[in-house]
Amino acid sequence: MTRTASSRFWLAIGFLVVLGFSLGPVLIMLSTAFDGRANDGSRGLLPTEWSLENFAFVLDEGGFVTYLRNSLVVALATVVISSALALLASVAVSRFRFRFRTSVLIMVLVVQMVPLEALVIPLFIQAKTLGMLNHLFGLVVVYVAFSLPFAIWTLRGFVSAIPRELEEAAYVDGASWPRMFWSILFPLVAPGLVATSVFSFITAWNEFVFAITFLNDQDSYTVAAGLRQFFTQYGTDWGAVMAGSTLITLPVMIFFVIVQKRLSDGLVAGAVKG
Amino acid sequence: MTTSPDVQPGVAVTESRQTPAAPSGPAAPGGRPSRRDRAGNGLTPGWLPWLLQAPALVVLFGLLVYPLVRVAVLSFQDFGLRELVTGESSWVGLDNFTEVLTDPLLWKVALPNTAVFAAVNVFLTVAVGTAVALLLAKLGPWARGILTSAIMVAWAMPAVTGTYVWVYLFDARDGFVMQTLGSLGLVDPETTNWFTERLPFFAIATANVVHHGFPFVAVTILAGLMTVPKEMLEAAALDGAGAWRRFRYVTMPLLKPVFAVVTILSTIWDFKVFTQIYLMPGGSGTNREVLNLGTWSYITAISQNRYGLGAAIAVLLTLLLLVITAVYLRTLFKQEEL
Repeated sequence: MTRTASSRFWLAIGFLVVLGFSLGPVLIMLSTAFDGRANDGSRGLLPTEWSLENFAFVLDEGGFVTYLRNSLVVALATVVISSALALLASVAVSRFRFRFRTSVLIMVLVVQMVPLEALVIPLFIQAKTLGMLNHLFGLVVVYVAFSLPFAIWTLRGFVSAIPRELEEAAYVDGASWPRMFWSILFPLVAPGLVATSVFSFITAWNEFVFAITFLNDQDSYTVAAGLRQFFTQYGTDWGAVMAGSTLITLPVMIFFVIVQKRLSDGLVAGAVKG
Repeated sequence: MTTSPDVQPGVAVTESRQTPAAPSGPAAPGGRPSRRDRAGNGLTPGWLPWLLQAPALVVLFGLLVYPLVRVAVLSFQDFGLRELVTGESSWVGLDNFTEVLTDPLLWKVALPNTAVFAAVNVFLTVAVGTAVALLLAKLGPWARGILTSAIMVAWAMPAVTGTYVWVYLFDARDGFVMQTLGSLGLVDPETTNWFTERLPFFAIATANVVHHGFPFVAVTILAGLMTVPKEMLEAAALDGAGAWRRFRYVTMPLLKPVFAVVTILSTIWDFKVFTQIYLMPGGSGTNREVLNLGTWSYITAISQNRYGLGAAIAVLLTLLLLVITAVYLRTLFKQEEL
């Protein structure tokens, strides 16, 4: 009896510790963002004075309306392009046997390990030569490349999980390959596309290194790059930094929590079924 | 036992279950007859797979493979602002590598800041993640749902904003922790700055990286824990094994592949840590004590316009990661054979 009581006690302690560690930074971010006196040196777990002042400041003077729009455009373009390319490629590697198939798969695996720092130097030189700096499209192309390997790898599992008999039935009914792809494969892979789209979106939305390297014109900043302006040599406007951070973080978090079930199911299915 | 397909969901999250080795084996994954695969059903032309994957391959080659080759070439060149403008370049052989390898900054600062930092962070991330997974497995469905959502929130926190929050917490003037400790009289906020010294700097970075990384480990290991047969744990309990021994001698061996994958992936990620260091005070080059290979390479190339030298550092980091990747792939191949 005492044993269960004490183990319940320790479980409760563990629960609270993990909860606090997980959510603590987020709560600090939110409370500072909503604190009208964040820069007066008042520090508490709750705002001393609830206000939307910081948000108004970053959206208006901080230029975050533009940055949010830029980030959204970049992220959506990345999702659309990378989903399309990954879907086609995953069908190729999971439904066909061809020469170099294994090489293609190994390449897809290995390029995921490449450090960004190694790519940023040559791509910066390339973008500068091509006059692509400050063009959002340049960023989109880079982010598509970053999100592709993971998307191909995950979708590959989904495509393989579709029984071949369904495909054959379509052929028997006289469907051409494109018709079969559109009516059979595409709808069945859609849940996998949701999972990979979320990842592509987050990759593009959160990316920072290329954003600060490629963009030096304020009008083309994405949100991650735009936050830096609140750090000046005279000090940091923490209220603005946290309000901007909240605007960046909240959409991603809501997304993550809502799709968490589908996400983990999708990943599990994607990887287990070959 | 470890080959039980149900163990795989854990590995699954890491998209690693399938290895490129599988297709060359006699039976394709999923046990499909390979004759049909090779024939492509006889209804589709042989060039179709190439047409389908061409756009993806163009992007992968153009933006990942070609730049890698280019960075390797750059590392043998003297490439600065002038070359960037003229497009010319001059070969300097191994000069860049000699300069990097003889720089005490590499051996005393950048390499330890990369390797030791990664080792500590991987250990802590996997340990915390495993503990949280074990906790989640013990909780009732209600509490587990809440806690899973909470760690998802931690996972979803972007590196950029997460780093700013940790900096803010420990900020020298306005930091929450500094003010709290200061009001208790434990530190003097006027004279203390945790970011200027190497150890506290990396301790804060560690908190940040572990906070960002443990949810992945926890979710993956939890998926693995669900597959451990209850009967085995009960049998061990009947034989008198306590909680630790059950974990050490039943759970751990069964989940070895899962542990291997989360450890190796965490190692790869923690070697590449950039944003979390670069955005901390002094991390963008003003404090050379806290450079790691990634930030050193970036600052040398992009901020100081010494692209060749920066490329040489990047090549060293990439080689380090390639070695780890090779270990990773070997682990996967082994798993497939089991």
